[in-house]
Amino acid sequence: MKHLQALRLLVFRDLQIRYAGTWLGYLWSLLDPLFMSLIYWLVFTVILGARGVGEQPYLLFLLAGILPWVWLASSLNDSSRALITENRLVRSIALPRALWVIKSITAKAMEFIFALPILIGLTIIFGKSVTWELLWFPVAFILQYLLLVGIGLLLAPLTVLARDMKNIIRLVVRLGFYLTPIIYSVSDVPAQGQFLSYLNPMTGIVTLYRAGFWPQGTEILYPLLSAVLWALGLFALGLFFFKKIEATVLKEV
Amino acid sequence: MDTVISVENLGIRFNRNRKRKFSIREMVLQNKNTTPKGSFWALRNVSFNVKKGEAVGLVGANGQGKSTLLRIIAGVLIPDEGKVEVNGGVAPVIELTGGLKSDLTARDNIWLVAGLHGLNRKQVAEKFDEIVEFSGIGDFLDTPVRHFSSGMRVRLGFSIVTSLDEPILLVDEALAVGDAEFKIKCYNRMEKLLKEGKTLFLVSHKEEDLNKFCTRGLYLKKGQLVIDGTLKEALDAHLKEQGALDD
Repeated sequence: MKHLQALRLLVFRDLQIRYAGTWLGYLWSLLDPLFMSLIYWLVFTVILGARGVGEQPYLLFLLAGILPWVWLASSLNDSSRALITENRLVRSIALPRALWVIKSITAKAMEFIFALPILIGLTIIFGKSVTWELLWFPVAFILQYLLLVGIGLLLAPLTVLARDMKNIIRLVVRLGFYLTPIIYSVSDVPAQGQFLSYLNPMTGIVTLYRAGFWPQGTEILYPLLSAVLWALGLFALGLFFFKKIEATVLKEV
Repeated sequence: MDTVISVENLGIRFNRNRKRKFSIREMVLQNKNTTPKGSFWALRNVSFNVKKGEAVGLVGANGQGKSTLLRIIAGVLIPDEGKVEVNGGVAPVIELTGGLKSDLTARDNIWLVAGLHGLNRKQVAEKFDEIVEFSGIGDFLDTPVRHFSSGMRVRLGFSIVTSLDEPILLVDEALAVGDAEFKIKCYNRMEKLLKEGKTLFLVSHKEEDLNKFCTRGLYLKKGQLVIDGTLKEALDAHLKEQGALDD
């Protein structure tokens, strides 16, 4: 696959520009999710005293949900505009067009991986023990990657054709944060609502990420099923849709 | 006879109202039908073959489909009708400065753009000095491209793309840029590439450039291929049309 080389180059370039050779650039991608977690921890446990929500230690619980969410939010933002921000390259180099979407998501995936040391650090600081279910973590990563590529392939062409996609995306991402079990867990949702919760593509994935810290046992079945169906479904749909609309979009890029 | 570019019954349609973006609000509220009504064929029923080593000049007034045809051959536009087959890699001298990333240095840009066009590390390393030398950027190799003048950017872009060693060269008016000295360098390089047996596809308004490199001419008018013959025939047809307009 000679396109892998192009992908590697583009991802490297994105990270190079993002971190611009300074270490502060890298630090920001650690500090951002950390401070977000701290503020929710402050609001929920100190101010509201909601000790019953989520799992303990709550800060670690928050971070394990916020990290994947930051990856999702930044990926949707970047990948939806990928064909527009890279339009000069799209217009002059005959690479497979899906590559522009895939590289945005891959670059953000790298940032997600680079931020994992804070998760590991907090686990050690809190002395939290982990179980074999931590194996679900890489599974969740792969599923989230497929899911994001699928969504990106849907959004990137639409954003070229309709300018207001970016407002919609911003709104959905903001609402999605509260509709996804990030500051709470699925078990906090009233029994009738739990099924509905799995209609959210991120619910299963976030639960899988957390399983190694707060074991799910056989309860993992529903989150796993939801995550796999969403990831594979949207990935397939994204590929299909992108192929269909590619020619139209290229005329407008 | 090896055909390197084969175009068969090509057609591509664009929207006439070049208000490119439409908003979802408009789509929902006005129930606006964007496709067929305002569309026109930028190219239609275009067929021709180009053999290896040929130098083809594409002639026509503005907006007759020349650049569109070039971009379809380059593989960055997909036709609505017909077929385009290109055997062998293409070096697109199109939107030369577009591929350069302004936050990166010239050095990083050379690695990036050459790599995106499919050269591996070893190949880039081999050509690196030649690219730097030809572009004449000298001391600015480690300067971010955003500090470059537009002329310097074009020179860098041209140097990278023409160093790719692809068998087919697609050129869109790129020769019109740069100072006199660089223009001569460009001419020399183009001649060298032609001597090496590369196939050239040139879009230009400058008769001088066309006469210098091309032997065959295609004349496009309103998206139709009107003349496929010698360069002189194509140019004559084009000039006659222009003359008729002047009267």
